[in-house]
Amino acid sequence: MPDGARKEKAVSDIAASDIVETVPSALIILDRNLNITSANRAFYQTFRTSAAETEGCHIYDLGNRQWDIPALRTLLESVIPHRASVEGFEVEHNFPTIGQRTMLVNARKIFRPGDHDGFILLAIEDVSEERAARAESKRSRLLTQSIVDTIRDPLVVLENDMTIVTASRAFLTMFGITEAETHGRRISELGQHQWDVPALRHLMEKVLPENKPIENFEIEDDFSTLGRRVFNLNARKISQPGNHAHRMLLVFEDITDRKQRERDAQMLTNEISHRIKNNLQIVVGLIAFEAKRTAFPCVQGYKAMQARIAAIAQFYDLISQSSHGRTIAVDAYLREIANALTVSLLGNTSGITIEVKADALDIDPDHAVPFGLLVNELATNAIKHAFPDGTGHVVLSVQRVADQIELVVADDGIGMKDKDSAKVPEKRGSDYVAIFVRQLGGTILPSGSEEIGATIRIRLPLLLVPTEESEPIAV
Amino acid sequence: MAVILIVEDDVFILELTEMVIQDWGYRTLSATDVGEALLLLRTSQDIDILFTDIYLKRAVLGGCELAQQAVKLRPKLQVLYTTGNFVTEEMKAQFVEGMHCLRKPYTPRQLQDSFEGLLAA
Repeated sequence: MPDGARKEKAVSDIAASDIVETVPSALIILDRNLNITSANRAFYQTFRTSAAETEGCHIYDLGNRQWDIPALRTLLESVIPHRASVEGFEVEHNFPTIGQRTMLVNARKIFRPGDHDGFILLAIEDVSEERAARAESKRSRLLTQSIVDTIRDPLVVLENDMTIVTASRAFLTMFGITEAETHGRRISELGQHQWDVPALRHLMEKVLPENKPIENFEIEDDFSTLGRRVFNLNARKISQPGNHAHRMLLVFEDITDRKQRERDAQMLTNEISHRIKNNLQIVVGLIAFEAKRTAFPCVQGYKAMQARIAAIAQFYDLISQSSHGRTIAVDAYLREIANALTVSLLGNTSGITIEVKADALDIDPDHAVPFGLLVNELATNAIKHAFPDGTGHVVLSVQRVADQIELVVADDGIGMKDKDSAKVPEKRGSDYVAIFVRQLGGTILPSGSEEIGATIRIRLPLLLVPTEESEPIAV
Repeated sequence: MAVILIVEDDVFILELTEMVIQDWGYRTLSATDVGEALLLLRTSQDIDILFTDIYLKRAVLGGCELAQQAVKLRPKLQVLYTTGNFVTEEMKAQFVEGMHCLRKPYTPRQLQDSFEGLLAA
Protein backbone atom coordinates (compact mmCIF):
# COMPACT_ATOMS: atom_id res chain seq x y z
CA MET A 1 0.00 0.00 0.00
CA PRO A 2 1.42 3.39 -0.89
CA ASP A 3 2.32 5.71 2.00
CA GLY A 4 -0.48 8.20 1.21
CA ALA A 5 -3.18 5.54 1.15
CA ARG A 6 -1.82 4.03 4.39
CA LYS A 7 -2.07 7.37 6.20
CA GLU A 8 -5.60 7.91 4.88
CA LYS A 9 -6.67 4.54 6.18
CA ALA A 10 -5.12 5.23 9.58
CA VAL A 11 -7.12 8.46 9.85
CA SER A 12 -10.37 6.81 8.79
CA ASP A 13 -9.80 4.14 11.43
CA ILE A 14 -10.16 6.80 14.16
CA ALA A 15 -13.77 6.61 15.22
CA ALA A 16 -15.79 9.84 15.40
CA SER A 17 -16.66 8.88 18.95
CA ASP A 18 -12.95 9.05 19.88
CA ILE A 19 -12.78 12.63 18.66
CA VAL A 20 -16.01 13.55 20.42
CA GLU A 21 -14.73 12.14 23.70
CA THR A 22 -11.42 13.96 23.38
CA VAL A 23 -12.49 17.54 22.68
CA PRO A 24 -12.76 19.78 25.78
CA SER A 25 -16.11 21.32 24.73
CA ALA A 26 -19.33 19.76 25.97
CA LEU A 27 -21.16 18.18 23.00
CA ILE A 28 -24.70 16.86 22.74
CA ILE A 29 -26.66 15.55 19.81
CA LEU A 30 -30.41 16.16 19.64
CA ASP A 31 -32.92 14.56 17.33
CA ARG A 32 -35.59 16.56 15.52
CA ASN A 33 -37.80 16.43 18.65
CA LEU A 34 -34.98 17.83 20.76
CA ASN A 35 -34.43 14.54 22.58
CA ILE A 36 -30.83 13.91 23.47
CA THR A 37 -29.43 10.99 21.52
CA SER A 38 -25.92 11.22 22.95
CA ALA A 39 -23.47 13.50 24.82
CA ASN A 40 -19.75 13.39 25.40
CA ARG A 41 -17.71 13.04 28.59
CA ALA A 42 -17.01 16.79 28.76
CA PHE A 43 -20.77 17.43 28.89
CA TYR A 44 -21.30 15.00 31.77
CA GLN A 45 -18.37 16.46 33.69
CA THR A 46 -19.32 20.07 33.12
CA PHE A 47 -22.97 19.64 34.08
CA ARG A 48 -22.45 16.90 36.67
CA THR A 49 -24.75 14.40 35.06
CA SER A 50 -24.49 10.92 33.50
CA ALA A 51 -25.33 9.12 30.25
CA ALA A 52 -28.19 7.27 31.98
CA GLU A 53 -29.82 10.52 33.10
CA THR A 54 -29.21 12.18 29.77
CA GLU A 55 -29.69 9.93 26.76
CA GLY A 56 -33.27 9.76 25.49
CA CYS A 57 -34.26 12.69 27.69
CA HIS A 58 -35.82 15.79 26.19
CA ILE A 59 -33.38 18.67 26.42
CA TYR A 60 -35.81 20.79 28.43
CA ASP A 61 -36.56 17.95 30.86
CA LEU A 62 -32.91 17.28 31.55
CA GLY A 63 -31.77 17.73 35.17
CA ASN A 64 -35.09 18.71 36.65
CA ARG A 65 -35.80 21.10 33.72
CA GLN A 66 -32.76 23.21 34.38
CA TRP A 67 -32.15 23.38 30.61
CA ASP A 68 -35.55 24.90 29.97
CA ILE A 69 -33.95 28.21 29.32
CA PRO A 70 -35.73 30.92 27.30
CA ALA A 71 -32.53 31.78 25.40
CA LEU A 72 -31.95 28.13 24.51
CA ARG A 73 -35.54 27.76 23.41
CA THR A 74 -35.04 30.73 21.11
CA LEU A 75 -31.95 29.11 19.63
CA LEU A 76 -33.46 25.69 19.13
CA GLU A 77 -36.98 26.66 18.09
CA SER A 78 -36.57 29.90 16.23
CA VAL A 79 -33.00 30.11 14.95
CA ILE A 80 -31.89 26.57 14.11
CA PRO A 81 -34.94 25.67 11.95
CA HIS A 82 -33.96 28.45 9.56
CA ARG A 83 -30.17 28.11 9.56
CA ALA A 84 -27.75 25.29 9.01
CA SER A 85 -25.48 26.47 11.78
CA VAL A 86 -25.21 29.05 14.55
CA GLU A 87 -21.99 30.13 16.25
CA GLY A 88 -21.29 32.01 19.43
CA PHE A 89 -24.84 32.06 20.79
CA GLU A 90 -24.48 33.22 24.38
CA VAL A 91 -26.66 31.70 27.09
CA GLU A 92 -26.46 32.96 30.65
CA HIS A 93 -28.24 30.84 33.23
CA ASN A 94 -28.23 29.90 36.88
CA PHE A 95 -27.98 26.10 36.86
CA PRO A 96 -29.13 24.48 40.12
CA THR A 97 -26.23 22.01 39.97
CA ILE A 98 -23.34 24.27 38.97
CA GLY A 99 -24.58 27.77 39.68
CA GLN A 100 -24.49 30.89 37.51
CA ARG A 101 -22.83 30.15 34.19
CA THR A 102 -22.29 31.82 30.84
CA MET A 103 -22.28 29.34 27.98
CA LEU A 104 -21.25 29.89 24.39
CA VAL A 105 -23.26 27.56 22.17
CA ASN A 106 -22.38 26.55 18.61
CA ALA A 107 -25.10 24.58 16.81
CA ARG A 108 -25.00 22.68 13.52
CA LYS A 109 -27.60 20.57 11.71
CA ILE A 110 -26.31 17.16 10.68
CA PHE A 111 -27.90 15.02 8.02
CA ARG A 112 -27.13 11.36 7.39
CA PRO A 113 -27.69 9.89 3.93
CA GLY A 114 -31.40 9.12 3.52
CA ASP A 115 -32.31 10.85 6.78
CA HIS A 116 -34.16 14.05 6.04
CA ASP A 117 -34.92 14.97 9.60
CA GLY A 118 -31.33 15.14 10.65
CA PHE A 119 -29.82 15.88 14.06
CA ILE A 120 -28.61 18.96 15.87
CA LEU A 121 -25.09 18.99 17.24
CA LEU A 122 -24.62 21.43 20.09
CA ALA A 123 -21.12 22.36 21.25
CA ILE A 124 -21.31 24.14 24.58
CA GLU A 125 -18.34 26.04 25.95
CA ASP A 126 -18.34 27.30 29.53
CA VAL A 127 -16.98 30.87 29.25
CA SER A 128 -18.08 31.92 32.74
CA GLU A 129 -14.56 32.49 34.05
CA GLU A 130 -13.46 34.44 31.00
CA ARG A 131 -16.57 36.62 31.18
CA ALA A 132 -16.06 37.11 34.93
CA ALA A 133 -12.42 38.09 34.32
CA ARG A 134 -13.48 40.49 31.59
CA ALA A 135 -16.13 42.02 33.85
CA GLU A 136 -13.58 42.30 36.66
CA SER A 137 -11.14 43.98 34.31
CA LYS A 138 -13.82 46.43 33.24
CA ARG A 139 -14.77 47.12 36.87
CA SER A 140 -11.10 47.57 37.69
CA ARG A 141 -10.63 49.97 34.79
CA LEU A 142 -13.69 51.96 35.83
CA LEU A 143 -12.47 52.02 39.41
CA THR A 144 -9.02 53.21 38.28
CA GLN A 145 -10.58 55.88 36.10
CA SER A 146 -12.82 56.94 39.02
CA ILE A 147 -9.79 57.22 41.28
CA VAL A 148 -7.86 59.09 38.59
CA ASP A 149 -10.78 61.46 38.14
CA THR A 150 -11.04 62.17 41.85
CA ILE A 151 -7.35 63.10 42.17
CA ARG A 152 -7.19 66.85 42.22
CA ASP A 153 -3.80 67.07 40.53
CA PRO A 154 -4.06 66.74 36.76
CA LEU A 155 -2.42 63.60 35.43
CA VAL A 156 -1.94 61.73 32.20
CA VAL A 157 -0.86 58.22 31.30
CA LEU A 158 1.63 58.06 28.46
CA GLU A 159 2.67 55.33 26.08
CA ASN A 160 6.27 54.46 25.37
CA ASP A 161 6.31 57.01 22.53
CA MET A 162 5.06 59.79 24.86
CA THR A 163 1.59 59.82 23.35
CA ILE A 164 -1.31 60.22 25.77
CA VAL A 165 -3.35 57.12 26.56
CA THR A 166 -5.64 58.74 29.07
CA ALA A 167 -5.96 62.10 30.79
CA SER A 168 -7.71 62.72 34.07
CA ARG A 169 -10.75 64.95 34.32
CA ALA A 170 -8.67 67.44 36.34
CA PHE A 171 -6.15 67.60 33.47
CA LEU A 172 -8.85 68.24 30.88
CA THR A 173 -10.55 70.84 33.06
CA MET A 174 -7.37 72.67 34.00
CA PHE A 175 -6.02 72.96 30.47
CA GLY A 176 -9.44 73.48 28.87
CA ILE A 177 -9.18 70.63 26.39
CA THR A 178 -11.28 67.62 25.50
CA GLU A 179 -10.34 63.98 25.81
CA ALA A 180 -10.40 63.70 22.01
CA GLU A 181 -7.83 66.48 21.77
CA THR A 182 -5.42 64.63 24.05
CA HIS A 183 -5.82 61.00 23.03
CA GLY A 184 -2.92 59.79 20.91
CA ARG A 185 -1.15 63.15 20.94
CA ARG A 186 2.29 63.72 22.32
CA ILE A 187 2.50 65.65 25.56
CA SER A 188 4.95 68.05 23.89
CA GLU A 189 2.30 69.01 21.32
CA LEU A 190 -0.27 70.24 23.81
CA GLY A 191 -1.11 73.89 24.48
CA GLN A 192 1.56 76.31 23.34
CA HIS A 193 4.19 73.54 23.61
CA GLN A 194 4.87 74.46 27.25
CA TRP A 195 5.92 70.90 27.99
CA ASP A 196 8.28 70.77 25.03
CA VAL A 197 11.33 71.40 27.20
CA PRO A 198 14.55 69.56 26.23
CA ALA A 199 15.52 68.85 29.86
CA LEU A 200 12.07 67.41 30.59
CA ARG A 201 12.09 65.38 27.36
CA HIS A 202 15.49 64.02 28.28
CA LEU A 203 14.25 62.94 31.73
CA MET A 204 11.03 61.48 30.35
CA GLU A 205 12.96 59.35 27.91
CA LYS A 206 14.67 57.68 30.88
CA VAL A 207 11.56 56.94 32.93
CA LEU A 208 10.55 53.76 31.10
CA PRO A 209 13.82 52.18 29.88
CA GLU A 210 15.82 53.00 33.03
CA ASN A 211 12.92 53.08 35.51
CA LYS A 212 14.09 56.52 36.70
CA PRO A 213 11.22 58.55 38.12
CA ILE A 214 11.05 62.30 37.61
CA GLU A 215 10.74 64.16 40.89
CA ASN A 216 9.60 67.78 41.10
CA PHE A 217 10.64 69.06 37.67
CA GLU A 218 9.56 72.68 37.78
CA ILE A 219 8.12 74.48 34.76
CA GLU A 220 6.94 78.08 34.81
CA ASP A 221 5.18 79.47 31.76
CA ASP A 222 2.21 81.39 30.42
CA PHE A 223 -0.83 79.23 29.63
CA SER A 224 -3.54 80.63 27.37
CA THR A 225 -6.41 79.59 29.64
CA LEU A 226 -4.64 79.90 32.99
CA GLY A 227 -2.19 82.77 32.80
CA ARG A 228 1.26 82.42 34.31
CA ARG A 229 1.59 79.19 36.25
CA VAL A 230 4.25 77.11 37.95
CA PHE A 231 3.95 73.33 37.80
CA ASN A 232 5.88 70.57 39.48
CA LEU A 233 6.03 67.51 37.27
CA ASN A 234 6.42 64.01 38.68
CA ALA A 235 6.56 60.90 36.54
CA ARG A 236 7.03 57.21 37.16
CA LYS A 237 6.76 53.94 35.34
CA ILE A 238 3.59 51.93 35.83
CA SER A 239 3.38 48.23 35.04
CA GLN A 240 0.52 45.78 35.06
CA PRO A 241 1.18 42.27 36.38
CA GLY A 242 1.48 39.85 33.48
CA ASN A 243 1.64 42.64 30.94
CA HIS A 244 4.97 43.48 29.35
CA ALA A 245 3.82 46.87 28.09
CA HIS A 246 4.88 49.71 30.37
CA ARG A 247 3.37 53.12 30.61
CA MET A 248 4.22 56.34 32.35
CA LEU A 249 2.13 58.24 34.86
CA LEU A 250 2.80 61.97 34.65
CA VAL A 251 1.33 64.17 37.38
CA PHE A 252 1.13 67.95 37.19
CA GLU A 253 1.12 69.71 40.54
CA ASP A 254 0.11 73.35 40.34
CA ILE A 255 2.47 75.09 42.79
CA THR A 256 1.80 78.64 41.60
CA ASP A 257 0.30 79.82 44.91
CA ARG A 258 2.94 78.06 47.01
CA LYS A 259 5.66 79.52 44.81
CA GLN A 260 4.20 82.98 45.17
CA ARG A 261 4.06 82.59 48.97
CA GLU A 262 7.69 81.46 48.95
CA ARG A 263 8.68 84.41 46.80
CA ASP A 264 6.78 86.82 49.07
CA ALA A 265 8.44 85.28 52.13
CA GLN A 266 11.84 85.46 50.44
CA MET A 267 11.26 89.09 49.51
CA LEU A 268 10.30 89.89 53.11
CA THR A 269 13.33 88.01 54.41
CA ASN A 270 15.56 89.92 51.98
CA GLU A 271 14.04 93.21 53.03
CA ILE A 272 14.46 92.47 56.75
CA SER A 273 17.95 91.09 56.23
CA HIS A 274 18.87 94.20 54.19
CA ARG A 275 17.72 96.48 57.01
CA ILE A 276 19.33 94.45 59.82
CA LYS A 277 22.64 94.20 58.00
CA ASN A 278 22.57 97.91 57.19
CA ASN A 279 22.00 98.63 60.88
CA LEU A 280 24.85 96.32 61.85
CA GLN A 281 26.97 98.03 59.19
CA ILE A 282 26.23 101.36 60.85
CA VAL A 283 27.31 99.92 64.23
CA VAL A 284 30.53 98.58 62.71
CA GLY A 285 31.10 101.95 60.99
CA LEU A 286 30.54 103.84 64.23
CA ILE A 287 32.95 101.57 66.08
CA ALA A 288 35.51 102.17 63.31
CA PHE A 289 34.94 105.90 63.66
CA GLU A 290 35.44 105.74 67.46
CA ALA A 291 38.48 103.50 67.08
CA LYS A 292 40.23 106.23 65.11
CA ARG A 293 39.90 108.66 68.02
CA THR A 294 40.83 106.33 70.83
CA ALA A 295 44.15 105.39 72.39
CA PHE A 296 46.00 102.52 70.72
CA PRO A 297 45.47 99.92 73.50
CA CYS A 298 41.72 100.21 72.98
CA VAL A 299 41.88 99.82 69.20
CA GLN A 300 42.29 96.02 69.39
CA GLY A 301 39.16 95.83 71.53
CA TYR A 302 37.19 97.84 69.01
CA LYS A 303 38.44 95.64 66.19
CA ALA A 304 37.49 92.47 68.10
CA MET A 305 34.05 93.98 68.65
CA GLN A 306 33.68 94.61 64.92
CA ALA A 307 34.69 91.03 64.18
CA ARG A 308 32.14 89.62 66.61
CA ILE A 309 29.34 91.75 65.17
CA ALA A 310 30.30 90.53 61.71
CA ALA A 311 30.33 86.94 63.03
CA ILE A 312 26.82 87.25 64.49
CA ALA A 313 25.54 88.63 61.17
CA GLN A 314 27.16 85.75 59.33
CA PHE A 315 25.71 83.17 61.71
CA TYR A 316 22.22 84.42 61.01
CA ASP A 317 22.88 83.93 57.30
CA LEU A 318 24.34 80.49 57.92
CA ILE A 319 21.41 79.48 60.09
CA SER A 320 18.93 80.52 57.41
CA GLN A 321 20.90 78.62 54.77
CA SER A 322 21.88 75.50 56.76
CA SER A 323 18.52 75.06 58.38
CA HIS A 324 16.29 72.26 57.12
CA GLY A 325 13.03 72.66 58.92
CA ARG A 326 13.53 73.10 62.63
CA THR A 327 17.18 72.05 62.85
CA ILE A 328 20.58 73.00 61.42
CA ALA A 329 23.11 70.52 60.10
CA VAL A 330 26.20 70.88 62.29
CA ASP A 331 28.74 69.79 59.71
CA ALA A 332 27.52 72.36 57.16
CA TYR A 333 27.38 75.01 59.89
CA LEU A 334 30.96 74.32 61.04
CA ARG A 335 32.22 74.38 57.45
CA GLU A 336 30.62 77.77 56.88
CA ILE A 337 32.14 79.09 60.12
CA ALA A 338 35.53 77.77 58.96
CA ASN A 339 35.08 79.46 55.58
CA ALA A 340 34.07 82.73 57.26
CA LEU A 341 37.15 82.59 59.51
CA THR A 342 39.38 81.86 56.54
CA VAL A 343 38.00 84.82 54.61
CA SER A 344 38.00 87.29 57.51
CA LEU A 345 41.19 86.32 59.36
CA LEU A 346 43.40 84.30 57.06
CA GLY A 347 42.89 85.08 53.38
CA ASN A 348 43.84 82.84 50.49
CA THR A 349 47.59 83.04 51.01
CA SER A 350 47.68 82.12 54.68
CA GLY A 351 49.71 79.15 55.86
CA ILE A 352 47.06 78.33 58.46
CA THR A 353 44.37 75.84 57.46
CA ILE A 354 41.08 74.92 59.16
CA GLU A 355 39.64 71.43 58.98
CA VAL A 356 36.13 70.34 60.01
CA LYS A 357 35.21 66.89 61.33
CA ALA A 358 31.61 66.42 62.40
CA ASP A 359 29.21 63.58 63.04
CA ALA A 360 25.86 63.71 61.28
CA LEU A 361 24.20 65.81 63.96
CA ASP A 362 21.69 68.59 63.95
CA ILE A 363 21.46 71.61 66.22
CA ASP A 364 18.49 73.46 67.55
CA PRO A 365 18.38 76.94 65.92
CA ASP A 366 17.86 78.56 69.35
CA HIS A 367 21.36 77.42 70.32
CA ALA A 368 23.02 77.99 66.97
CA VAL A 369 24.24 81.56 67.56
CA PRO A 370 25.95 80.98 70.96
CA PHE A 371 27.33 77.69 69.63
CA GLY A 372 28.68 79.48 66.53
CA LEU A 373 30.15 82.27 68.63
CA LEU A 374 31.81 79.69 70.91
CA VAL A 375 33.42 77.94 67.94
CA ASN A 376 34.35 81.30 66.45
CA GLU A 377 36.00 82.45 69.67
CA LEU A 378 38.03 79.27 70.17
CA ALA A 379 39.11 79.10 66.54
CA THR A 380 39.99 82.80 66.50
CA ASN A 381 42.10 82.31 69.64
CA ALA A 382 43.96 79.44 68.01
CA ILE A 383 44.55 81.37 64.80
CA LYS A 384 45.78 84.46 66.65
CA HIS A 385 47.95 82.83 69.30
CA ALA A 386 49.05 79.35 68.26
CA PHE A 387 51.03 80.08 65.12
CA PRO A 388 53.63 82.86 65.53
CA ASP A 389 55.34 81.69 62.35
CA GLY A 390 52.07 81.91 60.38
CA THR A 391 51.69 78.22 59.53
CA GLY A 392 49.61 75.52 61.17
CA HIS A 393 46.45 73.50 61.25
CA VAL A 394 43.25 73.95 63.26
CA VAL A 395 40.66 71.18 63.58
CA LEU A 396 37.05 71.90 64.54
CA SER A 397 35.24 68.72 65.47
CA VAL A 398 31.88 67.78 66.93
CA GLN A 399 30.93 64.28 67.95
CA ARG A 400 28.28 62.63 70.05
CA VAL A 401 29.57 61.05 73.27
CA ALA A 402 26.80 59.10 75.02
CA ASP A 403 24.08 61.64 75.78
CA GLN A 404 26.38 64.62 75.34
CA ILE A 405 28.07 66.48 72.55
CA GLU A 406 31.80 67.07 72.55
CA LEU A 407 33.15 70.10 70.76
CA VAL A 408 36.90 69.97 70.20
CA VAL A 409 39.05 72.79 68.83
CA ALA A 410 42.59 71.55 68.38
CA ASP A 411 45.68 73.12 66.84
CA ASP A 412 49.23 71.99 66.15
CA GLY A 413 50.76 75.29 67.24
CA ILE A 414 53.04 76.26 70.09
CA GLY A 415 50.69 75.02 72.82
CA MET A 416 49.46 76.78 75.93
CA LYS A 417 52.01 78.16 78.37
CA ASP A 418 49.64 78.16 81.33
CA LYS A 419 49.51 74.77 83.01
CA ASP A 420 46.10 75.37 84.50
CA SER A 421 44.37 74.29 81.34
CA ALA A 422 40.82 74.62 82.65
CA LYS A 423 41.30 78.36 82.84
CA VAL A 424 43.26 78.66 79.66
CA PRO A 425 40.47 79.61 77.26
CA GLU A 426 39.67 82.66 79.32
CA LYS A 427 43.31 83.60 79.59
CA ARG A 428 43.83 83.17 75.89
CA GLY A 429 42.00 86.36 75.24
CA SER A 430 38.36 85.87 75.87
CA ASP A 431 36.02 85.57 78.80
CA TYR A 432 33.37 85.00 76.20
CA VAL A 433 34.19 81.29 75.90
CA ALA A 434 33.20 80.71 79.50
CA ILE A 435 30.05 82.80 79.03
CA PHE A 436 28.97 80.89 75.92
CA VAL A 437 29.68 77.53 77.59
CA ARG A 438 27.59 78.54 80.59
CA GLN A 439 24.85 79.80 78.27
CA LEU A 440 24.78 76.43 76.53
CA GLY A 441 24.82 74.55 79.87
CA GLY A 442 28.16 72.87 79.12
CA THR A 443 31.52 72.36 80.80
CA ILE A 444 35.10 72.86 79.69
CA LEU A 445 37.05 69.62 80.15
CA PRO A 446 40.57 69.71 81.57
CA SER A 447 42.90 69.28 78.63
CA GLY A 448 45.31 66.35 78.42
CA SER A 449 49.03 66.81 78.10
CA GLU A 450 49.18 67.28 74.34
CA GLU A 451 52.61 66.82 72.86
CA ILE A 452 51.78 69.14 70.03
CA GLY A 453 49.70 72.29 70.13
CA ALA A 454 46.60 72.82 72.23
CA THR A 455 43.25 71.08 72.44
CA ILE A 456 40.13 72.53 74.02
CA ARG A 457 37.34 70.05 74.77
CA ILE A 458 33.89 71.21 75.72
CA ARG A 459 31.03 68.94 76.70
CA LEU A 460 27.59 70.25 75.90
CA PRO A 461 24.21 68.82 76.79
CA LEU A 462 22.13 67.25 74.09
CA LEU A 463 21.17 70.51 72.49
CA LEU A 464 22.27 68.82 69.30
CA VAL A 465 20.01 66.06 68.08
CA PRO A 466 20.82 63.13 65.80
CA THR A 467 19.79 63.61 62.19
CA GLU A 468 17.53 60.55 62.05
CA GLU A 469 15.42 61.80 64.95
CA SER A 470 14.86 65.15 63.34
CA GLU A 471 13.86 63.83 59.93
CA PRO A 472 10.16 64.16 59.21
CA ILE A 473 8.37 60.85 58.79
CA ALA A 474 7.80 60.14 55.11
CA VAL A 475 4.19 59.61 54.14
CA MET B 1 45.04 108.76 43.78
CA ALA B 2 42.38 106.12 43.05
CA VAL B 3 38.77 107.25 42.73
CA ILE B 4 36.00 105.15 44.21
CA LEU B 5 32.34 105.57 43.33
CA ILE B 6 30.23 104.45 46.33
CA VAL B 7 26.59 103.55 45.61
CA GLU B 8 24.62 102.98 48.79
CA ASP B 9 20.93 103.70 49.47
CA ASP B 10 21.47 104.17 53.23
CA VAL B 11 22.84 107.71 53.49
CA PHE B 12 24.32 107.19 56.95
CA ILE B 13 26.31 104.16 55.79
CA LEU B 14 27.28 106.09 52.66
CA GLU B 15 28.74 108.98 54.64
CA LEU B 16 30.50 106.77 57.21
CA THR B 17 32.02 104.72 54.39
CA GLU B 18 33.13 107.85 52.52
CA MET B 19 34.90 109.13 55.65
CA VAL B 20 36.71 105.84 56.19
CA ILE B 21 37.72 105.55 52.54
CA GLN B 22 38.94 109.13 52.36
CA ASP B 23 41.09 108.46 55.44
CA TRP B 24 42.93 105.82 53.39
CA GLY B 25 43.80 108.45 50.81
CA TYR B 26 41.26 107.59 48.11
CA ARG B 27 38.99 110.11 46.45
CA THR B 28 35.29 109.28 46.58
CA LEU B 29 32.16 109.95 44.57
CA SER B 30 28.77 108.93 45.87
CA ALA B 31 25.30 108.02 44.65
CA THR B 32 22.22 106.56 46.33
CA ASP B 33 20.64 104.77 43.37
CA VAL B 34 21.30 103.38 39.90
CA GLY B 35 20.27 106.57 38.09
CA GLU B 36 22.58 108.86 40.06
CA ALA B 37 25.45 106.44 39.67
CA LEU B 38 25.00 106.20 35.88
CA LEU B 39 25.03 110.00 35.60
CA LEU B 40 28.47 110.02 37.25
CA LEU B 41 29.69 107.09 35.19
CA ARG B 42 28.73 108.89 31.98
CA THR B 43 30.89 111.91 32.87
CA SER B 44 34.58 112.11 32.04
CA GLN B 45 35.64 111.85 35.69
CA ASP B 46 38.20 109.23 36.54
CA ILE B 47 36.63 106.31 38.40
CA ASP B 48 38.72 103.25 39.30
CA ILE B 49 36.34 101.23 41.44
CA LEU B 50 32.57 101.00 41.59
CA PHE B 51 31.63 99.97 45.15
CA THR B 52 27.92 99.26 45.10
CA ASP B 53 25.29 97.79 47.34
CA ILE B 54 23.26 95.15 45.45
CA TYR B 55 19.87 95.92 47.00
CA LEU B 56 19.32 99.56 46.05
CA LYS B 57 16.04 101.02 47.26
CA ARG B 58 13.29 99.01 45.48
CA ALA B 59 15.70 97.40 43.01
CA VAL B 60 16.49 94.00 44.56
CA LEU B 61 19.37 93.42 42.15
CA GLY B 62 19.92 97.11 41.32
CA GLY B 63 23.66 96.94 42.04
CA CYS B 64 24.08 94.00 39.64
CA GLU B 65 22.25 95.83 36.85
CA LEU B 66 24.27 99.00 37.55
CA ALA B 67 27.58 97.14 37.37
CA GLN B 68 26.66 95.52 34.06
CA GLN B 69 25.90 98.91 32.52
CA ALA B 70 28.94 100.49 34.18
CA VAL B 71 31.46 98.05 32.68
CA LYS B 72 29.90 98.62 29.27
CA LEU B 73 30.53 102.36 29.72
CA ARG B 74 33.95 101.85 31.29
CA PRO B 75 35.43 98.44 30.41
CA LYS B 76 38.44 98.90 32.74
CA LEU B 77 36.29 99.67 35.77
CA GLN B 78 36.76 97.36 38.79
CA VAL B 79 33.63 96.35 40.69
CA LEU B 80 33.15 95.61 44.38
CA TYR B 81 29.64 94.54 45.40
CA THR B 82 28.28 94.51 48.93
CA THR B 83 25.08 92.98 50.24
CA GLY B 84 23.35 92.20 53.50
CA ASN B 85 21.52 89.34 51.82
CA PHE B 86 22.71 85.84 51.14
CA VAL B 87 24.50 85.72 47.81
CA THR B 88 22.16 83.69 45.62
CA GLU B 89 22.88 81.88 42.36
CA GLU B 90 20.67 84.47 40.65
CA MET B 91 22.98 87.21 41.95
CA LYS B 92 26.12 85.32 40.98
CA ALA B 93 24.80 84.85 37.45
CA GLN B 94 24.63 88.65 37.11
CA PHE B 95 28.04 89.45 38.58
CA VAL B 96 30.49 91.02 36.17
CA GLU B 97 33.77 89.27 35.54
CA GLY B 98 36.64 89.85 37.96
CA MET B 99 34.44 91.35 40.66
CA HIS B 100 34.68 91.00 44.45
CA CYS B 101 31.77 90.84 46.89
CA LEU B 102 31.74 91.88 50.56
CA ARG B 103 29.02 90.71 52.91
CA LYS B 104 27.55 93.31 55.28
CA PRO B 105 28.51 94.12 57.91
CA TYR B 106 32.08 94.36 56.63
CA THR B 107 34.94 95.73 58.70
CA PRO B 108 37.07 98.63 57.46
CA ARG B 109 39.98 96.19 57.22
CA GLN B 110 38.01 93.90 54.89
CA LEU B 111 36.99 96.88 52.76
CA GLN B 112 40.54 98.19 52.52
CA ASP B 113 41.88 94.72 51.60
CA SER B 114 39.26 94.44 48.86
CA PHE B 115 40.16 97.83 47.35
CA GLU B 116 43.86 97.02 47.44
CA GLY B 117 43.21 93.66 45.79
CA LEU B 118 41.17 95.22 43.00
CA LEU B 119 43.63 98.04 42.35
CA ALA B 120 46.52 95.56 42.22
CA ALA B 121 44.68 93.39 39.68
